[in-house]
Amino acid sequence: MDPASTLPILLMAAWLVPLASFVLIVLFGKYMGPHGKGAGYLSVLAIITSAIFSLIAMFGVWLPNHELPTSGHGDHNGAVSSATEESHAPTEHAAEHHETEHEYPNYSGDWYSLGEFGDLKITIGYYIDALTVAMFCMVSVIASCVHIYALGYMHDELHEPYIDHEVTLSSGEHLHRKGRFYRFFQYLSLFCFSMFGIVIAGNVAMVFVFWELVGICSYFLIGFYIERHSASAAANKAFLVTRVGDFGMLIGMMALWASVGTFAFGDMKNEQGEVTEKGLFSLLRPEEHHHHLAPPPGMIAEEERMFAGDPDGESVPAAVEEEHNTAGQWLLLIAGVGIFCGCVGKSAQFPLHVWLPDAMEGPTPVSALVHSATMVAAGVYLVGRFYPCFSPEALLVIAYVGCITLFIAATIAITATDIKRVLAYSTVSQLGYMMLSLGLGGWVAGMFHLITHAFFKGLLFLCSGSVIHAVHTNDMTYMGGLRKKMPITAYTMLIGCLAIIGAGFPLSVYGLSGYYSKDAIIEQAWSFASVNPQHAILKWAPVGGAFITAFYMFRLWYLTFAGKPRDEHRYDHAHESPRVMTGPLLVLAFFAIGIGWPIFHVNDLLEQGRPVGTLASTQGELLTNLTIPSEHDSHVPIIKQPAGIAAFSTALAGLLLASIIYLWRLLNPDELKESFKPLWGFLSNKWFFDELYDYVFVKPTLVVSHCAAWFDRNIIDSILHTAAAICRACSAVVDALFDQTVVDGTVNTFASGTWSLGLWLRRIQTGNLRQYVMFIVIGTVALFVTISIVQAYYIPTN
Amino acid sequence: MESIYWPSFFFFLFSGLACAFAVAVLLSSNIVRMAFYLVLSLGATAGLMFLAGAEFVGAMQLLIYVGGTLVLLIFGVMLTSQERFVVMKTWAGDWVKAFLAGGALLFILAYAAFSIPEWRGIERAEADAVEAQPSVTPIAMGLLGARTDDPDGSGYLLPFEIVSVHLLVVLIGAAYLARAKRSRSSLEKL
Amino acid sequence: MLSIPFANLLTEPVGVAHYVTVGAILFICGALCMATKRNALGVLMGIELVLNGANLNFVAFGSRYLRDDANSLGLDGQLMALFVIVLAAAEAAVALAIALNFYNNHDSIDVDRADQLRG
Repeated sequence: MDPASTLPILLMAAWLVPLASFVLIVLFGKYMGPHGKGAGYLSVLAIITSAIFSLIAMFGVWLPNHELPTSGHGDHNGAVSSATEESHAPTEHAAEHHETEHEYPNYSGDWYSLGEFGDLKITIGYYIDALTVAMFCMVSVIASCVHIYALGYMHDELHEPYIDHEVTLSSGEHLHRKGRFYRFFQYLSLFCFSMFGIVIAGNVAMVFVFWELVGICSYFLIGFYIERHSASAAANKAFLVTRVGDFGMLIGMMALWASVGTFAFGDMKNEQGEVTEKGLFSLLRPEEHHHHLAPPPGMIAEEERMFAGDPDGESVPAAVEEEHNTAGQWLLLIAGVGIFCGCVGKSAQFPLHVWLPDAMEGPTPVSALVHSATMVAAGVYLVGRFYPCFSPEALLVIAYVGCITLFIAATIAITATDIKRVLAYSTVSQLGYMMLSLGLGGWVAGMFHLITHAFFKGLLFLCSGSVIHAVHTNDMTYMGGLRKKMPITAYTMLIGCLAIIGAGFPLSVYGLSGYYSKDAIIEQAWSFASVNPQHAILKWAPVGGAFITAFYMFRLWYLTFAGKPRDEHRYDHAHESPRVMTGPLLVLAFFAIGIGWPIFHVNDLLEQGRPVGTLASTQGELLTNLTIPSEHDSHVPIIKQPAGIAAFSTALAGLLLASIIYLWRLLNPDELKESFKPLWGFLSNKWFFDELYDYVFVKPTLVVSHCAAWFDRNIIDSILHTAAAICRACSAVVDALFDQTVVDGTVNTFASGTWSLGLWLRRIQTGNLRQYVMFIVIGTVALFVTISIVQAYYIPTN
Repeated sequence: MESIYWPSFFFFLFSGLACAFAVAVLLSSNIVRMAFYLVLSLGATAGLMFLAGAEFVGAMQLLIYVGGTLVLLIFGVMLTSQERFVVMKTWAGDWVKAFLAGGALLFILAYAAFSIPEWRGIERAEADAVEAQPSVTPIAMGLLGARTDDPDGSGYLLPFEIVSVHLLVVLIGAAYLARAKRSRSSLEKL
Repeated sequence: MLSIPFANLLTEPVGVAHYVTVGAILFICGALCMATKRNALGVLMGIELVLNGANLNFVAFGSRYLRDDANSLGLDGQLMALFVIVLAAAEAAVALAIALNFYNNHDSIDVDRADQLRG
């Protein structure tokens, strides 16, 4: 099978099936079985179809046609050969010559052109490489699990009426409303369609469209319990906060378009395989520069125009070959950081991370699918997809944002007691890890962590949903000891916890999925720090994060499943979830254990998807002492061994600390809380971010809007009222002068004339029959007389 | 002096009777007498029709008018007079106005009739030469749509049917209108 | 001879004009009857007289004895007269029904009291 023709068709099918399901449910969802139950099955069927298509695309088309690279095989033992070779001469010069970098296959094209505006073509296109196919499989498999799980979890919505115990009406009763089962699945289908759209998108504009579509799906799903005030507020918050990031993304898109003139990622080829239009990647990393990032002339001219205030931008500088040429780099940085802003919003990175924990108001399957595994990962995915366009400085920004995020979120997670919020902050923190890795040059590590994280975080959320389903509360202080009641949930969640902390045998190839990806990230961080000593904080933050992660994840598990039940009533009513919910847990647990294993070659597959030209270590142009190391450098034993040991020992330390406090109860958590009260308060208030934003943005906005309202009410309104009064006065004058005299006079004259004529004619109408007969007789006589006279005198007789 | 032309004699006899009884109807104030005079007037008119050669129409005149319509009128008289022969006087002014207008109209009509020479009649010899023809069969054929007397003329089948239906409708309508209803006084008692 | 209309009434055949005159007299009597009678049945009789006068005219115009055949209505006159008789009968029935109704409502058949339609 020819991958160039079959892959787009297969993936398009996988992409459009959820859309069909969405449309059908929108139109007929209400009538699908009792309370729309059939809508759920339809949606599940659609996503499973998508998963089958994706898996065919992966195992039937991609893998048979593309040999996996051997160089990146097994980042724990196999990659040493090529990496050691490079480590002898890790300078830029050497890397250019020794880099055995292949241009891995990608397929791009357009399905449909929406319009052309000058040079700009807006199309529905595709860009398919190994990353696209891997993402398709990951998203569709997780989404299938979540859909099936949701059939069980949302079962309450099938009841009529549904009683929402968290909404109390003014009458003191709980809200009774119709079940919205079918609507939930309608949104899930739309979400899957949008998510696939982002992944397959062939240009930035299309990414943006589907970016916003997943945003609106997220909005609908967070606000699914719209009657709960917290849910609707959280939906609004999520929507508005991500809009801030999208604004930055728009700026980045404009900067790109103005300077490069295209939105497409890849090159457009005609039937003969010749390149007709160059895409972003090959324009920014031209072949003649050995795929090194070089701002194209258009970008340099645009920057000249911007900074010199020269509106024509005619003076194209000739000195492109100069060493440490900064021309165009600033605009490249703006474009990169702008696009990254969108990713910050969507992936809940600092400083826009505030929306994700609130988004946990949505139903738990939504949290699992949208707010941990896929949608928030879309930001990371976009950074990965856009990777060739980021200059080293932009990557440094990404790294620092990720670093700050992972630390802040991890610390907040320590104090949270809401089981889903702990997981939400954990998600934010893990996304920070991915961003950090990408920012430090670890493209494969970041993408690898994205995929492993999707599986184990989806698993963790579904487990928490199962717990919530059993005890009807989110608060961990009411749980405890549940492992006896719901063993499947407890042990699959334990697998998830072990995976997220990266449990494995250090310096070996045996561990859970998180072990591979997390170690890869930490190795990359250490590798980076060894080249750039001034950024040593980036080396220690992920290690510290690993400690905190282990601590709060096992705190969560111990509080929920271990020890004695703290709420007997809830404990007694707890029960294991139905099979439709535990089945997906087992499937995801399998993936959480094994997806990282070298035999599955996920790492090699991603190595195949690495954007061309990004493996070589690069030197910053604006920050001359900044070096982004080659990812293969992180596999040398001198970095790999200490990093692996550090990661393992910190995670083990976190696990032990959590066990000491929450399992063996050697230290009383309440006493600890008392003694660290200021710190605890600071953390449990989430570093006061919400309050800060409230004071910095919300309050001033309110003040400004109050001023504007005052202006409207007093100035504009009075102007309007004055104008209205003048108008009324004028019309009163016209009324008195013209209407009341001329118009009314005419009408009244006609009316009174008609009236008096009628009064006069009325006298003839006596109603007397005999008189009428007389009129007839007289009329006949008069007629005769008249005709006679006319005939006699006026008609000539011949 | 020529001998008396008997048809003319009978014409004057019947026309005199018809006009006299018509005037009697006009002048009488007793409703029963009026009806009686009307019968006589209509009968005399039927005689005039016989004289004009329209035997069938004259017979119908006698049958329908004298035998049917007048009976209907008599019934009306009997049904509506609550007191014995109520007299409703007409004011003298009305009489004067009526006779003025009526006289004028009569004068005009008679003057117009006699001012046309062709209408004053035919010669006696001519009249004698006219062959009497039975008119019943042609009328019947005409009503059924086939004209025997005038091949170019049109038949009267459609008007005949319309009139039949009309008559039916009118009879039903009359029955409906005249059906017994509660009088107002009895309604008030309720 | 024709210059003196009434010279030889009895010796010569009568013409259409005579019939028309008789019809006119009947018509005038009927019309005056309608105009003067206060009794609704009297009015009804006036209508019969009027129709009768008109009928007579139809018969006269159609008769072959009274004028030249060329302009005669022929059989059409008699057929018209027949239709008029039929319609007169129908009219009489309806009029009588109206009179009865009127009598039921007013306890009288004085048409002068039926002036609800006056302007």
